[in-house]
Parts: sequence; structure tokens; C-alpha cells
Amino acid sequence: MKVAYRMNTLYSENSLISRFMFRLSNQIVAYLFMLPALLVFGLVAWYPVARSFQMSFQDVSLRGVSTWVGLDNFELMQRDPALDIVWENSLEFASWSILLGYLLPVFLAILIREMRIAKGFFRIVYFLPTVVPVSIAIIVWRFIYDPDAGFLNGLLGVFGIEAQRWLQDPALAKPSIVMVMTWGAFGTTTLIYLSSLQDISTELYEAAELDGASPINRIRHITIPHLAPMMSLLFVLQVLAVVQVFTEPFLLTKGGPGRETLTPVLHIYNRAFMRADMGYASAWSVMLVIVLMVFSIGYQLVNRKITKNQGA
Amino acid sequence: MDRGFLSDTELRTFSGRLYYYGSMAILLVFAAVVLFPFVYAFTSGLKGSTEIFTSGLRLIPKHPQWNNYREAWDSFEMIDLFYNSFVIVSVGVLLRITISSLAAFALSRLKPIGGSIVMMGFFLTLMIPGIAYLVPLFVTLKDVPVLHVNLLDSYWGLWLPYSTSAFAIFVLKNFFDRIPPEIIESARIDGASQLQIFVRIMLPLSRSILLILAILTFMDLWKDYLLPFLIITDPNRQPITVRLYYLADNYYGVNLQMAAAFIALLPPLVVAILLQRHLKTGLTMGSVKG
Repeated sequence: MKVAYRMNTLYSENSLISRFMFRLSNQIVAYLFMLPALLVFGLVAWYPVARSFQMSFQDVSLRGVSTWVGLDNFELMQRDPALDIVWENSLEFASWSILLGYLLPVFLAILIREMRIAKGFFRIVYFLPTVVPVSIAIIVWRFIYDPDAGFLNGLLGVFGIEAQRWLQDPALAKPSIVMVMTWGAFGTTTLIYLSSLQDISTELYEAAELDGASPINRIRHITIPHLAPMMSLLFVLQVLAVVQVFTEPFLLTKGGPGRETLTPVLHIYNRAFMRADMGYASAWSVMLVIVLMVFSIGYQLVNRKITKNQGA
Repeated sequence: MDRGFLSDTELRTFSGRLYYYGSMAILLVFAAVVLFPFVYAFTSGLKGSTEIFTSGLRLIPKHPQWNNYREAWDSFEMIDLFYNSFVIVSVGVLLRITISSLAAFALSRLKPIGGSIVMMGFFLTLMIPGIAYLVPLFVTLKDVPVLHVNLLDSYWGLWLPYSTSAFAIFVLKNFFDRIPPEIIESARIDGASQLQIFVRIMLPLSRSILLILAILTFMDLWKDYLLPFLIITDPNRQPITVRLYYLADNYYGVNLQMAAAFIALLPPLVVAILLQRHLKTGLTMGSVKG
């Protein structure tokens, strides 16, 4: 109100019309500033999102000709043997990833926090794998996993264990891929936990120590509860990221052996670009997004209920 | 005083020391594991073409072939690969920073009608995973609506998607919101236009955040594989992530692959070590994003 009043006095000689013109030109300037963003977001984000829903009900050829086919794509998807396979694979990938990479960063962050020297060293070393391109790191990892001359089998050989076919053995392919993913990602989460640990007031620990709480109890009752909200958030984000994984299985195994490492995104890629069935691939994308959204909303609801019950 | 859950006095006791050196040993072992692929690439790159297949565990080559690195540099045409990536990424960064700061300035200062709807539109792209519209994005870039141009095999096919970042817009808007309005008022009274205010006042005041965003964006886009793999099929124009993997997968001995991979891994590592301070700030920014 005050601002409007001031403007009134500033342009006191003016009528309503010139005030309107002033506002209008302001609005035009504002939208001119936003125009590049609106145009580009429209072209490469909003329009494709809308088109994704549209295409899932269409048969789209590579030449871009679309014909409406109703729910055909979704019916076809229900009969697709890959449907069960990719979700089972995703579940296994997620379990491996949680097992190998969920608690590890918490553990490492607590250890680093307690260091009196070389904190910065560990911070940067653990962070390094996250800055290099996955496709380049995989050139190295593929050789580490090499059945004949790779380092891993050489190491096993020292202990007299026979050579493994890391990426070709159906039982080992998933954990081998998850190892590469964990290597490339755990540094970020470790640093996030570490910066959260730095926020705990040292007085809290001092008071607990004076009250005679043992170090383990201090971790249980101060450190872990402090990290809990972040841990809960990163749990969902990790699952969401693993379900959407593409580059690692695409470059390391092409989804094999058999369909052991076929992921939803890999299947979408195959359908869209190898078989040129863009409509069917879009139906898959829509389904994937719905599943992910249901998962994250459901997780939040359950989570809220649990924290409420604990509070009561 | 800096202390963790253990106090300095506790650390001086026997069990305290045991814990301290034990955890340091664990951290060092993990550090070795984490760094191993880099070291392995480096030493394997020095091996001869027969030695690399015979020595499972020997890390240090008997007769280091330093010439491998020169050969890898030449035969993988690394200079061209770095150049392609550099052009793709730096223009992408420039466009993203420009477009995002312009929009953030308008949303923060110019009170556009419908601003909150526009914000929600940007926010939507953070909520929906990229895979949801990868296929139609490809179709769109192949035949851009209205203009009917084909952006496949053109760097614009990468620059346009790279220039959109709702995250950058939110960070910049929050930053602009905190700049005291008095500074802008006085410029306005001196008769400066909004564009002059943006260029001469807002951008200089935001140097630090713009720099952090530029570094983060650069490192992020440098790593991209899927989009350039789909969009750029001309081998002479592909970025290093796509082209080097393809070459390593299809030609050349393993020792040269390792040498080339090590050369390609080095620049991001050096940049990360040199700019770790900025990256740290960026990371906490990222965690707020959630």
C-alpha cells in the first residue's frame, strides 16, 4: 500500500491511464528478461513433457509420423516379458546399492569428523571419483574386472581363489556394476553427512560426557538422531537414482548376461532408439515416472507416520 | 575448541588412541581403494602390450613405456576430443548462467504478474526425472516445432538443453532477493534502466555465486554421456566422454586405452583439487536443494 501511495505522489500529475502504462511497460520489461528462459524451457522441457504423455498413446515412427492407438502401448507393456525382469532387476540393484553404499558414507563421515589432522585430505580424496566422467572411469573398471588379466582376479589368485567372470556371471554382474556406481557417488553423500556433523554443537557432546554418557551412547543419542533426517532423505534419493541408472549397465554389460542387468531406462533406450518404437518407449517413461512418484510420496507418508508415532 | 564426540582427554587414553589410529587406518584403506582405479590406469598405461596381459597383480611395470602416453595422445586424437568437450561445455555454461540470471532478476526484482506460476513451471522440471521426456526431447530436437530445423549433430542440440536449469534460477533468485533494495533504488533515481541495473549492479554484486554456479555447471556438463551420445553422431564433433569410450571399446591395445583414460581423467581431478573450496560451497548448496 505504501509503495502504491508513493508512486501516486511521484506521478501525481498523471491520470489512471499513465499509471496503467507505467505498470504495463514494467511488465513488458519483466517478461523480456524472462523470455529466453521461457522459450528454452518451453522447447526442451515443458513441450517434451507434454509430448511424452501424448506419445504414450500414439504409434510414432522415426520419421515423426504419429497415429493415435489409444491404450495399445500400455496393453503391450503388460504382456512385455521385460516388465517383470526390469522391476526385479531394479529391486536387486537398489538392494545391492543400499547394502554397499547407504551406511558407508555415514560411517566414514563419523570417522572423518573425529580426525584431528588430515580432514581436508580425506574430504578431497573421497570426493575425487565424483568429478570424473563415468564413461571414462568405466574404461578402467572394465579392465579391473577383466577375467584374464584384470587386477581383481589377480588379487583373488594370491589367495588361491579361482578367477571370476565379474561382468559375465549372472550372480556377480549386478554387484559388480553397483560397485562402480558406489565408487562414483559415495563421496558426495559422505561430504553432505560430514557438513551436517559439523553443525552439531560441541557443547552437546561436552554435556553428555559430563553426565557420564559413553562414547557409543553419545553417537547413538546425539550423532545419529542429528543425521536421521538427512539419512531419510538420501535414502529416497539413492533409490530413485539407482532405478534410473543407465550409463553403467549400458557401457559395462549392455543389459547382459541375458537380461540380468537390464534396467528400465536401458529398456526405454532399446525400444526408442534400437527398435525405433518411440510411442511404446514413451509409455514406459510415463509408467516409470508414475512408479517413482508413488514410491517417493508413499515413502514420505510412511516416514511421517513413523516419526509421529515416535514423538507420541 | 574443536572436538567431536570424543574429547581430547579421552583421545589421550589408551583406548582413545586405539580408536583414533584404528579409524585413521580404516580411512586410509578406503582412500587407497578409492584412488586405486586412477593409479591402476596410470601404471597399466605404462606397460608393454604383452606385459599388460600377463601380469595380473604386478602393478608397477618392469620397463615403463613412457612412449605409450605420447602414442595414446596422438592415436586417440585427444587434443580434438578435449577441444570438442570444451566448446560444448563452455558455451553451455555461458548460456545457462545468462538465461538463468536474466530470469532470476525478473522474478526477484520486477514483480511480473504470474511470476509464481512461472516459478512453478521451472520447479516442475526439478520434480520430473529427465528420463521422462528424453525420447520426446530427441524427437523435438530432430524437428523443432514452428522452425522445422534439425538440431541433431548440431551443438545447439546440446546447448539448448544444457541452458535450462531450474536449480540455477532458484539459487540466483534467492541471492538477488537478499541484495538490499536501497542500492537499486538509488540507481533507479539516477535514471538507470533495468538492463543497466542488471548489468552494472546485480551481476557484479553476484560474482561469487555466479562463479560457483559456473564451476559446478562446467564439471557437471563435462561428465555428460547420454545426451551427447544420442545427439552428436558425427565422430569428429563428439565430446571426450562419448568418443574416447567408443575408440577404447573398438580399437587399440588395453595399455593405450589405460593411458588415454588416465589422460582424460586428469583434468577433472586437477580442477577439483584446485577449486575444492568452491566445490564445497556448491555441495552444501546442492544439499539444500535436496
